[in-house]
Amino acid sequence: MSAPEVHHLFHNPIADHSFSADRQTLAIARDTTVELYGRVGNSFKLKDELKGHDKTVTSIDIAPNSGRIVTCSQDRNALVWEPTPQGYKPTLVLLRINRAATFVRWSPNETKFAVGSGDRLIAICYFEEENDWWVSKHLKKPIRSTITTVAWHPNSVLLAAGSTDAHARVLSSFIKGVDARPEPTAWGERLPFNTICGEYLNNSAGWIHSVAFSPSGDALAFAAHDSSITVVYPNAPEQPPRAVVTINTQLLPFMSLIWNGEAEIIAAGYDCEAFRFKGGLNGWQLSGTIEAKSRPGLGDAREESALNMFKQMDLKGKVKDDTQLKTVHQNTVTMLRPYETSGDAVAKFSSSGVDGRLVIWNV
Amino acid sequence: MSIIQQHTESSLTDAWRTINIDALDPDSSQNFPLSTLHPPQPEFSDPDARNLQSQIRQLLQAGDAEGALRSALENPIYNAPDLAKETHLQTVIEVLQRIKVNEMTPLLQKIYNDDRGSESLDVLMKYLYKGMAATSSGISSQHTGNGPRTPTKLMTPQATGFSQIGNRSGITAGDSTGAAMSVLLSWHEKVVDVAGLGCIGRVMTDFRRV
Repeated sequence: MSAPEVHHLFHNPIADHSFSADRQTLAIARDTTVELYGRVGNSFKLKDELKGHDKTVTSIDIAPNSGRIVTCSQDRNALVWEPTPQGYKPTLVLLRINRAATFVRWSPNETKFAVGSGDRLIAICYFEEENDWWVSKHLKKPIRSTITTVAWHPNSVLLAAGSTDAHARVLSSFIKGVDARPEPTAWGERLPFNTICGEYLNNSAGWIHSVAFSPSGDALAFAAHDSSITVVYPNAPEQPPRAVVTINTQLLPFMSLIWNGEAEIIAAGYDCEAFRFKGGLNGWQLSGTIEAKSRPGLGDAREESALNMFKQMDLKGKVKDDTQLKTVHQNTVTMLRPYETSGDAVAKFSSSGVDGRLVIWNV
Repeated sequence: MSIIQQHTESSLTDAWRTINIDALDPDSSQNFPLSTLHPPQPEFSDPDARNLQSQIRQLLQAGDAEGALRSALENPIYNAPDLAKETHLQTVIEVLQRIKVNEMTPLLQKIYNDDRGSESLDVLMKYLYKGMAATSSGISSQHTGNGPRTPTKLMTPQATGFSQIGNRSGITAGDSTGAAMSVLLSWHEKVVDVAGLGCIGRVMTDFRRV
């Protein structure tokens, strides 16, 4: 296994990152701007800045086929950036929310995107041809608190959302005139807008940090603040799920998780590194870390980390030296994304975090 | 030119910033009971807690410290009056004080490797923290006399495996809280060794309070 590709972009937290389909462009949410990096040889060079938000940009997503970038921010707005020969042209989306927008993702078919918000709702946004703008419909009903994360089912109709009210939900975002009628799935057959196909609570009612459908869409995994990962296997519409498997770990909470095929989940969070989980219907286990600990070249790109400094002071009474964690990331990992896939399996994935690093890992 | 045409007394101050806008929003969490977010927990009454206590004491007297600990942790009291919760805390601490230091880790590992073992240790951690809170606020709460909390009595060490406690003659109130705290602290250390930092995180996250 070759060493991970580490890019230390700057000394600010990275809220979210997204690669274009050809993996030559990298979009990074940094403070109130979006930075676009282009690949030059083995490194990324800043080539453009998208300025349109006036508060922290919380999430970003590049549609792989159309190349459109969608961003959302604490200023309660979402912008769609259309690539043109003169550069990116922003279009404001009518979200109609009065709290921060927290999370945005394109649907797999790229006709819609979902924006989670602190306004206890999810805005499903789609393009209205007649008026030539992006409008939204609100998924509101059972949501009692801020939406922290959303994830799309491969059919582009079902949406999973995690919330600070400790529930992971599966909802229908079917919009007449935009979506074709979806094939029935284990989650539901008839799916009018705002159908609740599933509502799951973790044992201790911790905040949900991340949700993800398995590649087939027939299982849902979510990570919560009680350091657990829960995998739900639905049975049939309107029936209790076939299995709900929860793994309580000894680790700190996970902030992000991705599926690698149907039998493996990769998750990372406050432990600053990625872990591998393996299992299926009958149970899941933590099977190890992605990172090889005796990694060569640990000394390069040395940086003082406040987190590690206090950790050392706390554990060993040390004030000097050893200010580096043994992991590549020197602070919490907040986002994992598949980077290179072959079929359902992930060959490489990328991670970004509070330490301003973007790392591309081999699975 | 400013777009604000008129300045009033209230627009010049920042008092408007302190308006609780959530109270004005019918959908806000201020206007629905947060308890509806969680599944209801089984209810316990004072006699239930005392019954459980006597059952567990019988196990202890029979020398089955492991069984006593397991049954104490498998029946956490979440939904009950304060008195019942205090009784169960007392029960758990009695059990903990009976177990010798060198028996702690093997016992915890055994419990952790069980089917729902991780949850049992989370429960134990909750009682450890509750015990620590009770011992540190013990004396002051007696003075203010708020309710049935009499933690100093509850923490009186019994004849335990702790040589530290047994060897002392003439234990004063301060010493006994200190000794009880050292029992809780050594359990805390052992629980973190077995169940990891995740266990502490779960205790802080959990809506079910003991």
